[in-house]
Amino acid sequence: MANEQRIKPDLQFVKDVQAAGGEAVKKCYQCATCSVACPLAPPETPFPRKEMVWAQWGLKDRFEGDIDIWLCHNCQTCSDLCPRGARPGDLISAIRNITYRDLVTPSIIGDWMSSPKHLPKLIAIPAVLFLLIWLITTGFKLPQGEIVFSKLYPGDYTIDPIFILVASFVAFTFFKGVTKLWKSFGKSTPSTLQIGGKTKKPTLIESLKAVIVDEIGTHSKFNDCGNDNTERYKGHLSLFYGFVALAIVTGVVAVSHWGGKIITFIAPLGHTPMPLWSPVKLLANVGAVALIYGLTMLTRRRINVDPAKSTSSYYDWYLLGVIWAVGLTGLGAEIFRLAGVPSLAYPTYYLHLISVFMLFAYLPWSKLGHLVYRTTALVYAHQAGRLPLKREEEKTFLV
Amino acid sequence: MAEKIGVYIDESSVAPLLSAEELVAFVKAKCAGACPIVKSHKRLSSPDGVAMIKADVESGEIDAVMLAGTSPRVDWEVFDFGDKVIVDRVNLREFVTLSYKNPDGSAPVAGQPVPRELTSMVQDYLRMGVVKLQKMAKPNPEIPETNKTILVLGGGWTGINAALAAAGAGYSVVLVEKEAALGGKAANLYKTFPLAYPYLEATDTGIDRLIGLVAGNSKITVKLSTTLKLLAGAPGLYEATLVTGGKEETLPIGSVVLAAGWQPMDGEALAAYGYGTLKNVVTSAEFEAMVKAGAIKRPSDGKAPKTVAFIVDVTKAMEAKPAAVAEEAPAEAAKPAEAKEGEEAGPVFTPIKTPKHLAYSSELTSLVALKQANYVREKLDDAVAMIIYDNMMVPGINERYYRAAQDNPGVMLTKGTVTGVAEEGISLVVSAKDTLLGGDISLAADLVVVPTGIVPATALDPTINLLYRQGPAFPDLQLFDGFADSNYICFPYETRRTGVYAAGCVRQPMTMAQAKEDAAGAALKAIQCIESASRGVAVHPRSGDLSYPVFNFVRCTQCKRCTEECPFGALDDDEKGTPKPNPTRCRRCGTCMGACPERVISFDNYNVDMIGSQIRECEIPPKIEDGGPRVFILACENDAYPALDMAALRGKKWSPYVRIIPVRCLGSVNAIWVADAMSKGVDGVMMLGCKYGDDYQCHFVKGSEICNRRKENIAESLKRLGVEPERVEQYQVAIDEYDKIPDMIDQFMDMVLKIGPNPFKGY
Repeated sequence: MANEQRIKPDLQFVKDVQAAGGEAVKKCYQCATCSVACPLAPPETPFPRKEMVWAQWGLKDRFEGDIDIWLCHNCQTCSDLCPRGARPGDLISAIRNITYRDLVTPSIIGDWMSSPKHLPKLIAIPAVLFLLIWLITTGFKLPQGEIVFSKLYPGDYTIDPIFILVASFVAFTFFKGVTKLWKSFGKSTPSTLQIGGKTKKPTLIESLKAVIVDEIGTHSKFNDCGNDNTERYKGHLSLFYGFVALAIVTGVVAVSHWGGKIITFIAPLGHTPMPLWSPVKLLANVGAVALIYGLTMLTRRRINVDPAKSTSSYYDWYLLGVIWAVGLTGLGAEIFRLAGVPSLAYPTYYLHLISVFMLFAYLPWSKLGHLVYRTTALVYAHQAGRLPLKREEEKTFLV
Repeated sequence: MAEKIGVYIDESSVAPLLSAEELVAFVKAKCAGACPIVKSHKRLSSPDGVAMIKADVESGEIDAVMLAGTSPRVDWEVFDFGDKVIVDRVNLREFVTLSYKNPDGSAPVAGQPVPRELTSMVQDYLRMGVVKLQKMAKPNPEIPETNKTILVLGGGWTGINAALAAAGAGYSVVLVEKEAALGGKAANLYKTFPLAYPYLEATDTGIDRLIGLVAGNSKITVKLSTTLKLLAGAPGLYEATLVTGGKEETLPIGSVVLAAGWQPMDGEALAAYGYGTLKNVVTSAEFEAMVKAGAIKRPSDGKAPKTVAFIVDVTKAMEAKPAAVAEEAPAEAAKPAEAKEGEEAGPVFTPIKTPKHLAYSSELTSLVALKQANYVREKLDDAVAMIIYDNMMVPGINERYYRAAQDNPGVMLTKGTVTGVAEEGISLVVSAKDTLLGGDISLAADLVVVPTGIVPATALDPTINLLYRQGPAFPDLQLFDGFADSNYICFPYETRRTGVYAAGCVRQPMTMAQAKEDAAGAALKAIQCIESASRGVAVHPRSGDLSYPVFNFVRCTQCKRCTEECPFGALDDDEKGTPKPNPTRCRRCGTCMGACPERVISFDNYNVDMIGSQIRECEIPPKIEDGGPRVFILACENDAYPALDMAALRGKKWSPYVRIIPVRCLGSVNAIWVADAMSKGVDGVMMLGCKYGDDYQCHFVKGSEICNRRKENIAESLKRLGVEPERVEQYQVAIDEYDKIPDMIDQFMDMVLKIGPNPFKGY
């Protein structure tokens, strides 16, 4: 038979999927309720139903280049409606988690990131590193006088080189990952045949712009799915803009500091510690508050969710935990600094550095990797014309 | 014969259209000689009404009670007046008051003068009721000295459970097993589907424990390596000849539980999946034996498989059927010809082989695949089991077992139609289309397990070896492809031979849980049979009926119609062909009575003369224009009569020109009744009975079918007399088709009016 597909069930993959958050996947009996409910499901390849059967049968290779996994908003409508509690939404998260683990080298980080038993190692790396620096700079003592963190960690010689190295490593890793993903999408995503008016294929820039402006910037699709997603929408959006604000602050500080060495008049702009009235500092504080607000919303949602409908994996909790640590230690360091309590301010800053390192250095293997991979997928989809179905009517679900 | 009839009219059944007093006056005037007491009562079934009748019965003035009021289907337990009197009912409520409409279709109005048609109808029914009782006598059966031992044929799971159930109820049991040990197929199983809550895991069958219970039960005699050579006699009076190692012994037996089980279907139909040609394709029965023996191995090299595919879909095997049948057809055609030559040799048993046995086993095929997939997971580390099914049939509680299997990460399930199995190197490749992936797939497997078709013992051998005139086996089993079934919707264990009750897979492919219940049910039926025979009453479906066919041999012409037509083989005959009744085999349907052209056969309370007299008792207007036509409805008591009752209770009306006469079964309708009616000038006869054919619903299996055959003969005779044959018609009615009956009647009336009056009218 010409179109016969050889099926090779991979038991280990089924077990992996179950361990990565899709424990209920075997319950699916292919009734297609999920595909009917999901606005992302294209008619010819029912989503996420096909993913369910692939996962059940251990067809690992099918997931290679499955772009739909990345287009999903995880609105949980499918899991909510599933009559057997197979939780398709969790399966999609599980497949993403497996991708974070396996997509790029060094795979040892992927392994360490996949299970809480490796968490101590992940903490130990930055903890030891920054402890060492503390030992070198002050001999493990608290500096006297005004609390200035660069007394402990001089930016030019410690923080900046370390994080520039980390950033380069992460950027290089993402470059590998994105390239790999992009190629794999090419293998299995058909470019959509447009019937009617001829449309020009958008350029990469156009696609990138469309994705960032129309989707990521506004989170406009978040509430397009069936379920009420308000809590998640608010949480995710404020968390996202909190990060954007903090990224701008970091950018301003970095540019003015290093740029200030050449163009001297911009140097004071980023000089730390900043006065509280500085617009940059204001932005940083607004960002931190948005971060905490977003975290609260998202954490509350995960705690209150019905475990029969959706569960949270280690990947979910790792990311929430690390961002909580970043936010709380960051705010804490600032408050203790302003309050003039060096015995609390400096150690908190130390913890802040550890958590920031954990957030960024392991980013490609963490759930936050979706920031890049999902964007890649959205751009690819935009290029290929793989668009979600137009909503013909208001979907209402009676559960 | 009832001579002094007490007639009681129920006012509540005839009001407000009719006056009970007038009816009393009518009976008194017309039947004064036969009816010393004629009374009416507001409500006969009230304690006061019953007391009134009881007083009359006790006074000794009457020997029969005629209750004119409600349908005989209600309050029958209220009107129990002991052994001294015969009781019969005239259904005035349903068949007159509730269902009457004027010839023009209008409803009669209470208080207005009573329409002529209504008066005529109620008077006919009352006269028919009186004459019916006059032709009725109290049955007085001979009570036989019965054997109380139950013979259980088959010492497998079902047989053992049946033996234990019967022994538990206090009956002696002879348990016959042809093999050298008890246990049957269950003894070869590694595990069986869950038998108890939470129904998630296969369990040990527990057969060893049951064998131990049998051994320790003093009521059960076990006969191993024994076969049943002959079962002679009748229920309660059987003589079973058993053969053990060449030695014969004859035991008195009361009734039989048939638990002879099944054989695996031979591999022919499974050739479509490479069975027989590819070494690593085994049947589920062979796979089970492999696991029971200790290890799952590939037959080709004895290595443990990594992947095992279970085929549940049998579409391809079923498609292969025409070829198989074409081969068998000439053989089947040849057999009857042989039989004709040597007619004296008696019926020839033809084994039934069909791929359909595979399809009938589908529920077990599904469950066995799930169970054995779990064996793969249990016995082999990291091996994967794949199941390809067209329909996963797991009715009832077994859904839980299915779900548990689905949850196993190493069990892969797909819907699909298996298109073939081929060899590829040392492994096999199963191809399937229409799968859950939407396309055609192929699966590599080290071992392929194909399903086992369940072939009932009765398809291959007569098994019960009866010494009956109609042959040693159950008749007409082709209808059920050999399963010992008789299509009794409400009576699962019944067979076509009274006294033999089937249970387990010989009756229908079933799980051990079902077989256990089946065994208990069949054991209870066997007990009921013995007890009924001991009291001289029918077992089923006329449970408790005291009447029995009485033969007036003086007039018998030895035509053998009765012995041939009896659906239950109740009648044997001697060399001359004189019928020999076996009352305990009889189900009292009266098919023999309907068959007999000489009117030799009768029941004390149901006979040719009784119905004939009722027909003659009706007044037929000499002219159709003056008084209307007349049509008799012979209504089967089992389905048609209740359907008529229900129609009336639900407010349906029908023509005022019909008169309804209940019959035990259309099989008991004697052609003479139709001839009587026609010669009297009746314009038509409707026979309402059960559905016949392959999916028959007749409570006596053959009654309505035989009636239909006889009707053709009646039509011939009518034609010769110049009477239109359409005047006699048979209709198939199910008990729930009450809504259709009034239309049937009205359409028949329209037809009668169209062809005009019976030419014999007025003679």
